[in-house]
Amino acid sequence: MTVLLEREAKKGTAPARPPRRRSRALVIAQARPWLLLTPALILLGALLLWPLVRVFLFSLQDYGLREIVSGDSNYIGFGNYAEIFSNSTLWTVVLPNTVGFALVSVSATVVFGTLVAMLMASLSPVWRTIVGSAVMVAWAMPAVTGTYVWIWIFDADQGLVNETLKSLGLMNESFNWFTNPFTFYAIVALNIVHHGFPFVAITVLAGLLGVPKEMLEAAEMDGAGPVRRFFAIIYPTLKPVFSVVIILSTIWDFKVFAQIYLMPGGSGSNREVLNLGVWSYVESFGQNRYGFGAAIAVLLTVLLLIITAIYVRTLFKEEKE
Amino acid sequence: MKKRYLPIAMFAIAALGLTACSGGGTDSPTDDTLDVWIMQGTNPDTEAFFDTVGDAFTEKTGATLNVEFVQWADAHDRFVTAIAGGTTPDIAETGTTWTAEFADSGALAPIDDYVAEAGLEDDLVQGLVDSGTYDGSLFGMPWYAGVRSIIYRTDVFAELGLAAPTTWQEIVDAATVIQAERPDLIPFPVPGDAEMLTYPWVWGAGGEVSTLEGDQWVSGLDADEAREGIRFYTGLATEHGFSSAGATTWKETDLLDNFSQGTVAMAISGSWTPATVLEKAPELEGKIGAIAIPGQNGGISPSVLGGSHLSMFEGSENKDLAWDFMELMTTGDFAQQWADQTGYFAGTESLLQPTIESDDPLVQPFAEQMVDGGASLPVTPTFGAVQAKKTTNAMIQSILSGQKTVDEATTDAAAEMNDIMNGN
Amino acid sequence: MRRTFGPRTLGKGLLVAILLIFTLFPAYWMISSSFDARASSGGQSLIPQEFTLDNYLFVFEEGQFGLFLKNSAIVAFFTVLISGIVALLASVAVARFKFKFRTAVLILVLTVQMVPLEALVIPLFVQVRDLQMLNTLLGLVVVYLAFSLPFAIWMLRGFVAAVPVELEEAAYLDGASWGRMFRSVLLPLVAPGLVATSIFSFIVAWNEFIFAMTLLGGAADKYTVAIGLKQFFGVHSNDWGPVMAASTIITIPVMIFFILVQGRLSGGLVAGAVKG
Repeated sequence: MTVLLEREAKKGTAPARPPRRRSRALVIAQARPWLLLTPALILLGALLLWPLVRVFLFSLQDYGLREIVSGDSNYIGFGNYAEIFSNSTLWTVVLPNTVGFALVSVSATVVFGTLVAMLMASLSPVWRTIVGSAVMVAWAMPAVTGTYVWIWIFDADQGLVNETLKSLGLMNESFNWFTNPFTFYAIVALNIVHHGFPFVAITVLAGLLGVPKEMLEAAEMDGAGPVRRFFAIIYPTLKPVFSVVIILSTIWDFKVFAQIYLMPGGSGSNREVLNLGVWSYVESFGQNRYGFGAAIAVLLTVLLLIITAIYVRTLFKEEKE
Repeated sequence: MKKRYLPIAMFAIAALGLTACSGGGTDSPTDDTLDVWIMQGTNPDTEAFFDTVGDAFTEKTGATLNVEFVQWADAHDRFVTAIAGGTTPDIAETGTTWTAEFADSGALAPIDDYVAEAGLEDDLVQGLVDSGTYDGSLFGMPWYAGVRSIIYRTDVFAELGLAAPTTWQEIVDAATVIQAERPDLIPFPVPGDAEMLTYPWVWGAGGEVSTLEGDQWVSGLDADEAREGIRFYTGLATEHGFSSAGATTWKETDLLDNFSQGTVAMAISGSWTPATVLEKAPELEGKIGAIAIPGQNGGISPSVLGGSHLSMFEGSENKDLAWDFMELMTTGDFAQQWADQTGYFAGTESLLQPTIESDDPLVQPFAEQMVDGGASLPVTPTFGAVQAKKTTNAMIQSILSGQKTVDEATTDAAAEMNDIMNGN
Repeated sequence: MRRTFGPRTLGKGLLVAILLIFTLFPAYWMISSSFDARASSGGQSLIPQEFTLDNYLFVFEEGQFGLFLKNSAIVAFFTVLISGIVALLASVAVARFKFKFRTAVLILVLTVQMVPLEALVIPLFVQVRDLQMLNTLLGLVVVYLAFSLPFAIWMLRGFVAAVPVELEEAAYLDGASWGRMFRSVLLPLVAPGLVATSIFSFIVAWNEFIFAMTLLGGAADKYTVAIGLKQFFGVHSNDWGPVMAASTIITIPVMIFFILVQGRLSGGLVAGAVKG
């Protein structure tokens, strides 16, 4: 990623050079980028960075309803963290759910999205537009509505899936898909992939259309199958696109909240399906333990930072070699 | 060059526009508006009722009433966020198990003086006074009380020649017949997300939810008696199959919905529910009966004496006006009407007495349950936190879904309850 | 590509069909249930059996969705507008100027995207409270700005970089000031990019759930569609017909928006990722 940025910087996007008649103009020209950046930096600083610092400060406190109301602080050192790490829920349920789910859904989303993009690239313009519009429909479905639709499809009493399986004679009694953590997360994954693959598909497709046809045709002449063509030509050419797509998907999938919180049992009564985000929310606003919840949130942030850092580094190394 | 001021200007305009949009609403309470939160779903016709109350209130005090309806399901979180954010209303209906918790956070105002001045001290229903008292002061004005008993389909029982059960075994016997003869019905659903429906079996088997020993709360959920009750209750689903797979994630409202849709034969349900069911499903008129929850071997299994207080918030700028509203709601005509319309029991003795003597078949069993089998959950601020953590719900759900055995689930739940109630 | 009807075309057709079913089914099922009078009583099938508009009438009478739509529209409009302006300025800075810490700013923009929203709920709640903006739409707009800005800057940067520098220089040669150049050269050329970017800010504002839930907690008259739907579902959880009707109502505006900007979008995404 960094390479990408540097490359862009070098390539010049030459600094704007207004006629240098007066030195005052020069000063303004030099200050201009910062003036342009100021509103964005102020907003990001006040609304993302400062809160991030504060969430860390909260996580060092026994911060409850009383402290929130009064604004007093109540530092207890790393007590919250000690409690989290000694909590078996973290190791047996929450962490596996969060990490495992992100792994599965990121790879599913990226692979599926890429396949769709390749299919779309091979279609005639008319069909490409039709499929593209369908993909847009999937993308446009808001997370909350999408979640309710999937709940309805898998509803234990009247849902389509149970009714169909029963009428086909594949199942005698209704099955509750939401009580078992595996089927629960399978539904969440379906929801996430359905909502997330359009971004991947559209991005990769636009990249694919930019790959020179001649290269692909030449490879096909040489007898390279689709798989070879993908790994020999497409993937290397589109590597920056894939990195962005993978990073953003990872970030998004680690943070799923609504899609889990709204599912039956997802807001705390089914302990087996908690993930870091829901756990933090439930502890904070259900138990009034804002300090403890903040510590969980810090953990989630650190986890994401580490993953992104590792990823950016590998990318950086590869490009260097 | 002026471009760079554009964002700031736009921001200011946008801000002005937005505040203009939002300023007209309720967030600038003037002296003559009383903001009230009322729980949704208690009265089938809540809005009409409060329209009338609002008119009467304006007539009496000259102030306007602004009622906001809140769902039980996320009410606790909304109260907590409002308390934390300083956006509480003047008065709110608070579930009896929450009053102590909110009082503990310093958000509620004591109302002893008002009650004494109005001469109401001796008329309030004792059970509700107990749960509304924290640290020696009264924070919750008794409004209404309710208990859960069993409602069942009299037409189905008549058709199959069944008598209403009087012991736990008879529940199983009746359900077995229904299961065999009427496969379209769920004989006795066991919802996995409804804690209040669990406690009667715990108490019925002689167990306890949690008791104060010295200065420590000790949960009784993992004691043998409680386990026996929980084993029986969840066994209705896991052993006998009287429940449905879907019920594992049902809330109490889902149970009621399904009863209204005519797919359920027996259900534990509150004294307030028959009215709601009949409103939703008029075709069930005359087909619903009620019985007190049978004891293990006869008698009555105690069920939670629940209900609601009206609580005044410390942040209210107009406490006298707030008290006028409380008095209007909890005494006299409106209290009576509310009880009649909802099937709840009034919070004052003078109004309660006639109801208890009623012989209405949909009132009498509940009155019997309340008088002879009403029990209280622990009165402590931390029990609200136990409820918010869904400790009991999680226990039942994990047994129903087969994640844990009764012994494992009760052990875990008791440990969690002790942790929370003794402040970790 | 030659058009022959061989097994390959057939296979491709099959794949397209499967893809269309997978992508469209949830939306189809939602809309179909919303028109089915029997959706709530378990009698539904793939095609509505008893066509009705009752579900929609019920939603508008009971659910105040008109109000929720208005609230969401206000929030989305201001989020899109303000984040568009701020992001445009910032992206011009990072794409057109060489200055100290430029790479640092870019990395910052990329990394802040990974901050999990859940982590910010507590501090932002306190912050918005201190600003006296709980239960107001303005409070929500401010928060959504923060979430939509990084991605908007990231994407717009590509569009700005794609505008040939020569055009700018030509403007200067004509004696235009920087401000004038910005207005008459850069802005018109980047406008399509702004449209594509706006959709992401729009989604943030339209879909966001957790902050709407905490910041608007006590004011049902300020609810946005996402939590309006949650509230509606809480009361009518087994009435699938109305729930699906409500879902349809809040989904349609987004779908229209998406399909309209479809063409712009694909260009923009790649621009954000690779251009420059």
